[in-house]
Amino acid sequence: MSAASVPERGDHPTLPPAFAKALLALILFVAVPATLSGIGGGYLYQIATTALIFVILAASLNLVTGTAGLLSLGHAGFYGIGAYVAALLSTRLGASFLVTLPAAGAVAGAIGTLVALPTMRLVSIYFAVATLGIGEMIYVTLLNWTDFTRGPMGIRSIPDIEMLGWEPHSPMQQYLVVASVAAVSLWVLSRLTHSYFGNALRAVREDDQCASAMGLNVVHLKIVAFGASCCFAGIAGALLAHTANFISPDQFQFGESINILAMVVVGGLGSLPGAVIGALLLVILPEALRSVGDFRMIAIGSIMFFSILLLPKGLLGEASALSLLRRQFGEAWSGRPGPPVGWR
Amino acid sequence: MLDVYLAQQIVNGLSIGLVYALMAIGFTLIFGVLNVVNFAHGEVYMIGAFAGLMLITAAAPPLLAVVVIVLTVGAATGVGLERLAFKPFRRFRDEASLRSRAMREATLLSSLAVSIVTREAMRQIFGSSMQTIPQGYLLQHPIRIGVLSITDGDLIIFASSVVMLVALQFLLFRTRTGLSIRAVANSPLGAQFVGIDTDRAIMATFAIGSMLGATAGILVGLYTGTITPQMGFAPGIKAFVAMVMGGLSSIPGAVICALFLGVAESITTEFLASGWQDLVAYAFLIATLVFFPQGLFGVGRERA
Repeated sequence: MSAASVPERGDHPTLPPAFAKALLALILFVAVPATLSGIGGGYLYQIATTALIFVILAASLNLVTGTAGLLSLGHAGFYGIGAYVAALLSTRLGASFLVTLPAAGAVAGAIGTLVALPTMRLVSIYFAVATLGIGEMIYVTLLNWTDFTRGPMGIRSIPDIEMLGWEPHSPMQQYLVVASVAAVSLWVLSRLTHSYFGNALRAVREDDQCASAMGLNVVHLKIVAFGASCCFAGIAGALLAHTANFISPDQFQFGESINILAMVVVGGLGSLPGAVIGALLLVILPEALRSVGDFRMIAIGSIMFFSILLLPKGLLGEASALSLLRRQFGEAWSGRPGPPVGWR
Repeated sequence: MLDVYLAQQIVNGLSIGLVYALMAIGFTLIFGVLNVVNFAHGEVYMIGAFAGLMLITAAAPPLLAVVVIVLTVGAATGVGLERLAFKPFRRFRDEASLRSRAMREATLLSSLAVSIVTREAMRQIFGSSMQTIPQGYLLQHPIRIGVLSITDGDLIIFASSVVMLVALQFLLFRTRTGLSIRAVANSPLGAQFVGIDTDRAIMATFAIGSMLGATAGILVGLYTGTITPQMGFAPGIKAFVAMVMGGLSSIPGAVICALFLGVAESITTEFLASGWQDLVAYAFLIATLVFFPQGLFGVGRERA
């Protein structure tokens, strides 16, 4: 991995880590809602909510495909499992959001782990093909198991988000709930990516034989990373089910996996902020082009093509993203005395 | 005594399998030479079908002429695809980057991106509904052989597949172009050392693979009567599955697995609702990958 360029302390201006985190939270929870309300759009809130759901998806795919280097072409399948678990639990059993959200994550994560057990010994293209097959199997099952999933009709009138009697009806309240879930997910994913665990995954990505000779349990690491990634995909699915109120199998087809992959590639494989930027770009840009015509997929395809051609490292490549994160968020790098932890 | 219905299903399955086989050969050729997956192969198939259809509606030539012209269009599409999605990523020629995973995945993703753009552009131009095909060209006239009922499309697809397979074997093993393709497949660097123009060999591979794909497209389009911008996706995935099951770089393996997949799918419809038949292909894929990681007919490949 090419993260050799760890900047010396004091090389760049740095904010105190707590301040940088507070700034991001301020943007997410105050600035964006204020701007959107200022422009005055319920529809804009929907786009913002969708964008945040895809931020979770792209960030979780980045853990597997970017950090661990396992090209997964079936991420939308696990997103779909989460959405269907949440939808079925709330429509059939009347479960509340506080139950369906963790349940969706748990089921998707469990199925992901089960799927990972036999396939994790596959390398490179074989793994990509296996995930493609699994994603399509999930889609075919959702489509044809009509008694359980209502098949191509999808599931209608899924209840809104509801927490201990509080029901956020306005788009802004829904946005705030989704934003909180996204913030927590990103925090967990960032802790997973930027820790010894993440470093072990990068070692596995670069040379799994060498990593295993160094004493890392390669298969175990890959399974945990894949399970965690699927869990967050399931959480994103639950958010979709409760905010869109309608889901159908078509939303979880191969094309959607490619969308999510495109977000990670455009942002920069292996870079968590890159995945976030990529997701925001690929959700918001096609919406901005909507007035021109329905060129959403063409736009996504072209952005993907040109970013691979012209920016092979992505908008915010892994090496620069890591050093940025270390400067702005790494407590141990800010010059403050503390227990030595991290990448040294 | 074999059940007549079952025998009928096997015959149907064989003709579906041949279609997968024609596409799988293109996949396998390109994978063998470049060691990358060409995700845009399904779009070549679709372009072949549309080119043939446009020709039929414009000039109504005999079927053989349509096939010949579609072959040319397919070759041109293949060369264009190679120029657009693969050539720019061969900037670095040293061995390290030829073997690097990132380079290989870059072409995989670029071909995926090109295929998305092509499919969506075609959908913008032609709409996503089915195109109308002139009645006289539909390959759906029933022919009865004993108790089995087949259509002339089955026969034509079978005959042209056999012809193309034989021609391909001749080309690969009896001509200088074929020799250079096999040399590049064996070792790109070694081929360069002995003075083979690798760019030309790669281009030839794409041209040949895409010719087979495009012809499969028009024949299947006329056989099933459905020509749509998204028609390439499902057979593309199935052909991909057949290639992986056959061991990634074995052409006979890919053909056998494609026929097997076709038969397995059509027999499934006897036991389950037809929507589930896709599940069979993917289940076979996962089972093959887990139990035979080198594919059923693959030789041990270098671990990458």
